[in-house]
Amino acid sequence: MEYTRRSVLTALGLGAVAAATGCSASGGTTQAAADGPVEGEINLLTPLFEGSTGKELLEGKLLPAFKQKNPNVTVKVDYTTYAALNEKITTSLAGGLMPDVVMLGVGWIPPFAHKKVLAPLPDELAKRYDYEDRVLEPSRFDGKLYALPMVLDTRIVTYRKDLFAEAGITAPPKDWAELRSMAKELARTDASGKLTRVGFDPFSIDLRQCWETFLFANDGNLFDEAGQQVKFDDERGVEALQLFLDVIKDKSADYSFKSSAGQPTTLQQGRSAMMMSNNSLWVQLKKQNPELLAEDKVGAFILANKVPAMLQGGTMVARSASSKHAAAAQALVEFMGTPESILPTAEQRGSVPGVQDLRTSDYVKNNGFVKLALDNMSKARSEGGTAAWMEIREKIKTTLETAVVGKRTAKEAIDELANLSKEAISRL
Amino acid sequence: MVSTRDRVRATASGPSAAPPRQRGLLRARRRAGLLMVAPAVLHALIWIGIPLVAAVVLSFTSYDVLTPPRFVGLENFRDLVSDSVFRRAVLNTSIYTFFTVPVAMAIALLIALMLNTRLAGRAIFRTAIFIPQVTATIAVALVWLWIYDPRSGLANAVLSFLGLDGPAWLSSTDWAMPAVIVVGIWQGIGLKMLIYLAALQSLPTDLYEAASVDGASKVRQFFSLTLPLLRPATFFVFVTSVIGAFQSFDQVYILTDGGPANSTTMMTYEIYKSAFREFRMGYACAQSLVLFALLLFLTLLNRRITGGDRATR
Repeated sequence: MEYTRRSVLTALGLGAVAAATGCSASGGTTQAAADGPVEGEINLLTPLFEGSTGKELLEGKLLPAFKQKNPNVTVKVDYTTYAALNEKITTSLAGGLMPDVVMLGVGWIPPFAHKKVLAPLPDELAKRYDYEDRVLEPSRFDGKLYALPMVLDTRIVTYRKDLFAEAGITAPPKDWAELRSMAKELARTDASGKLTRVGFDPFSIDLRQCWETFLFANDGNLFDEAGQQVKFDDERGVEALQLFLDVIKDKSADYSFKSSAGQPTTLQQGRSAMMMSNNSLWVQLKKQNPELLAEDKVGAFILANKVPAMLQGGTMVARSASSKHAAAAQALVEFMGTPESILPTAEQRGSVPGVQDLRTSDYVKNNGFVKLALDNMSKARSEGGTAAWMEIREKIKTTLETAVVGKRTAKEAIDELANLSKEAISRL
Repeated sequence: MVSTRDRVRATASGPSAAPPRQRGLLRARRRAGLLMVAPAVLHALIWIGIPLVAAVVLSFTSYDVLTPPRFVGLENFRDLVSDSVFRRAVLNTSIYTFFTVPVAMAIALLIALMLNTRLAGRAIFRTAIFIPQVTATIAVALVWLWIYDPRSGLANAVLSFLGLDGPAWLSSTDWAMPAVIVVGIWQGIGLKMLIYLAALQSLPTDLYEAASVDGASKVRQFFSLTLPLLRPATFFVFVTSVIGAFQSFDQVYILTDGGPANSTTMMTYEIYKSAFREFRMGYACAQSLVLFALLLFLTLLNRRITGGDRATR
């Protein structure tokens, strides 16, 4: 056989096309049923259990307990962070090596369930325990259950009671007008006019999640029920963003005035009087500033304007649709969703457990922020809700930021975000 | 006198006229040559050729990794034209390259000239200057993250000592890009310095002796001898630096995440975001092709302007 230059190039081109399209083989996953023997080696991809204490909890306590119940299953753990989770999943899918069990964030189920990456779970699992209000909502897509909640993370407003008392303020704000005026009163500047303490620090948490909390407190929605229509582009979404610009204009907040990674927060340092926080701040306070808790100097409340609302994020555990050991993978999902796994995981991270039975645990009783979150679960709202979420969530922060740094008005930024979101949804 | 070109021409037309024994020898030589280049060709084919062809093919598709690619014609390229963030990324990358490459090259040459003299502790200086090049960018970026911290960072501490008010380096749309550029310059000096140093050490001394005899000053020698003789090294440093600058990713990933408000986002960072965060592989491939075309154009332009890697003597 003679190899001409043309034939070699043709073969190369076809090979490349085959390689390119071959990548999609992983996409055509069949949803393996979870019946069959509970055995085999399975992979777990997790953004939780970070650091040595997390690893010790997972590999020293939880997985040995799972092994005791399922002696024929071996679990290999792949640790990652939320920042890298998305690319881990993308590369796993492209390489046809999707982990058997994967832990995902709230909002991530619709995109992956829509593309049939995840396998539905038996609906009976939703009734195993008394879950807190609406905790299972982010686990569902198209009426089916795809994941079990492991831990919840809520966004609340924390404040310094001592600084409030110093300014003669007796109760937290009931709406945004009060929040704005209190923030003004609580802010401090030095002789040169430079801010030394912000009245309100909304920027120490992710801007996307912060704006969503304000949107929900303004009785707004991200998308319609079907996840096909953008709903945040009305005045409620614009007002939510505008409030950030207003507190900056008042000189009671500053975009550069936020907590640095790995350092005590602005609230802990007394550099902010109110701060948007994750409920895990309680654990951080216990470690870094126990005196603030002992002297009752820190409080928390649920953000409110038209309605009280808190953002509920968290981590869920799901089974891959392409797992070769579906029964073993499902057994691990079920195990990770039990109160026995949930409580120590929540405790280690300062997260909120989503099972009602755990309300009476010492952990919940002794953690003020977790207790506040659980008492207000009926006011919790979650992000996501559309199959295009993975693309849209990446655009939110960068687009809103253009308004926060003064490059656009709040309305322009929200309109731009709405256009980008509509384009993403149209590509579904 | 027979030129190389004549010899090559004679060799090329040789086999038909050459006796059978010589022809056999030539065939054996050709086979040996092909065998020797085969590993490199295979490597380039597998790791460069196939991905390149795949990227071209995928750029005309909508591909999200989860479902099979769907042919969409030029849609990705049309989207690119209207994508204001990618346009911003192209501009940012150009600004970053414009400032980091020439400045780092000039500093590297200056340091190389100094280290090419009989300086006490020369080896220590060479190592110290080269260290940033071989240190993991993640570690480097974390140190710079601390340096740029507006409250407890070194940069503002120094400015404060001088009575100046330092900005919020990485949170300000005005200062974030200069801050990233400074890191890029600092990190890029080592390798450039090393290449220049190697080139300086291979320069012929007879020319300098002749220039000295003719009364040329050191400055005149530098501009009339050193710089022209360094042209191949300069061409190499420039091309690799431009390519490196256009592919900058990790410092932005760690220092600013492309922000604030996309003020430091780069082309590679947008490609990464499209592919791995937004699951738009086809679009990411189209973005990669734009980057490829830009780099090719710049390399050819540079070759045309500088005369490539031919030294002037």
